[in-house]
Amino acid sequence: MLHMYLPIAGNSVNVFLIFGLGGFVGLLSGIFGVGGGFLMTPLLMMFGIPPTVAAASDSNQIVGASTSGTLAHMRLGNVDIPMGVMLLIGGVGGGAIGVQIIKILKAMGNADFLIAITYVIMLGGVGGYMFWESLQGLKKSKNASAEEEIKAPEPNDGKKSLVQKLPLQFKFAKSGCEISMLLPLGFGILVGILAAIMGVGGGFIMVPVMVYLLRMPMHVVVGTSLFQILFTCVNVTILQSYSNHTVDFILAVLLLLGSTIGAQVGTAVSKRLNADQLKIMLASLVLLVCAKMMAGLLMTPSIMVALKGGH
Amino acid sequence: MKRLGYGFLMIVAAGLAWLGTSWAAETPLSLELANAKIEISTFYDGTTLDVTGTLPAEADAVIQVSGPKKDVHLKQKGKVAGFLWMNKYDVSLENTPAVYMVYTPTGAKEKFLNPELGVGYKALVNGIAIEPESADKEFIFGEYVKLMEEAGVYAVNEGTIKYGAVNNGVKSFSATLTIPSLMSAGDYTVEALAVDNGTVTGRSSKKLTLELVGLPASISKMAYGKPLLFGIMAVVIAIATGLIIGVIFKGGGGAH
Repeated sequence: MLHMYLPIAGNSVNVFLIFGLGGFVGLLSGIFGVGGGFLMTPLLMMFGIPPTVAAASDSNQIVGASTSGTLAHMRLGNVDIPMGVMLLIGGVGGGAIGVQIIKILKAMGNADFLIAITYVIMLGGVGGYMFWESLQGLKKSKNASAEEEIKAPEPNDGKKSLVQKLPLQFKFAKSGCEISMLLPLGFGILVGILAAIMGVGGGFIMVPVMVYLLRMPMHVVVGTSLFQILFTCVNVTILQSYSNHTVDFILAVLLLLGSTIGAQVGTAVSKRLNADQLKIMLASLVLLVCAKMMAGLLMTPSIMVALKGGH
Repeated sequence: MKRLGYGFLMIVAAGLAWLGTSWAAETPLSLELANAKIEISTFYDGTTLDVTGTLPAEADAVIQVSGPKKDVHLKQKGKVAGFLWMNKYDVSLENTPAVYMVYTPTGAKEKFLNPELGVGYKALVNGIAIEPESADKEFIFGEYVKLMEEAGVYAVNEGTIKYGAVNNGVKSFSATLTIPSLMSAGDYTVEALAVDNGTVTGRSSKKLTLELVGLPASISKMAYGKPLLFGIMAVVIAIATGLIIGVIFKGGGGAH
């Protein structure tokens, strides 16, 4: 079997295995509009890649996959660029705030606990709600043979009126809504803070935010999310490379050869599924990761020490 | 006078001869590495290293591979809120080798893994300090050993040393050492010990160097030497690959 040596990770890997891993995560990325970091980093760690190198090289790989995915979704008219830009600006700002919060928590000595709790609550909450909601949607669409434009239920009149009063109202054509620019900016900041605390790209939080809080159509959510992730990961790759020397270029190239192809296939698959099917699949994935995380927290570890550096 | 000088020379020669034989008796152990330098190139996936040597017929050979020593920073797991297992305490093991592998002949492995011989994990722990000092050094080091054994850089290999024919009270030995891919570039020590009746009767060591060459060397040099440029290059190549794959798939993706 063909192996390649990763000079930054300090280990060698099976080329086909990493290519396949990239393809699988790229597929999920194209289907759901998530970067897949919350899956890829633990998988890479299983193959002996140090956690910091796994996370940084993965963000480099996501740059390739999301370029490929964004391009494919753009052709389908699924990318709302103004919305993506507002979320992005908010995300970058929120990320900076999140990094400072982590610094304070680390100094106080309870960062690990908070990171783990945030992870479980976010994954469990987001996954659980999405699963339940899309299940309701699937049942309804069965009865009424409704199309995919079914949006989240429970209109909130109080919130709507407050939202309509906000300044900088803008018509986001692709998303089919007219809202204040401050709204995506604010949600972007929130996701940015959470993503920085959890050490992930935040795609799996951003997608539900766009679906449930910004009420965007699911397919536009996927395309816009990928567009936004592309820029976030460009930023992370350059920063990680510059300050921590943790980007393993060979690992990233092997991953992205698989993931760029996977993202294209994923986009094609995404087109064939309706919004509720997409949501319920993503929700199941998120819940699965949450369950694994919970098991890790509850079961007595076989080795009582870990190398410092990862989460 | 001439006779006196001749006698002096004889004494010196005899003395040297005696010294030579006594050295030979104390350290009749030789060790040779098939390669003193291992190159880590693009398709490197760990390797093996043949070692050979000779020792007194009645002694046993034990080989240790170790190095480079560093301070290891660990998180000890503990329960938070009474039921959640998390990385809880900071502990550091100081002066700990990144790699430690022992190779012994078949049988009675425990006979050789003896702190008094300076061989094995128990011997290693004596030379290591822990921070904070209140931590249980033996326990933490034991857990660290498990972690490193899983990674393949700590190991005790029994039965890997083979003996050859005895000749004039001297026998040859050979072993094939495992060099795992996780053993990073740097200098290591390969040491052979002659063990007889529970004591070390001879030692010989050789330096082993692992070195990055070719593509891994260039990438490593750039990542550490020009990190900003490296990051930008990584991003540009990722975007280019994404675009190229996107264009290749244009027909298929847009057809539906």
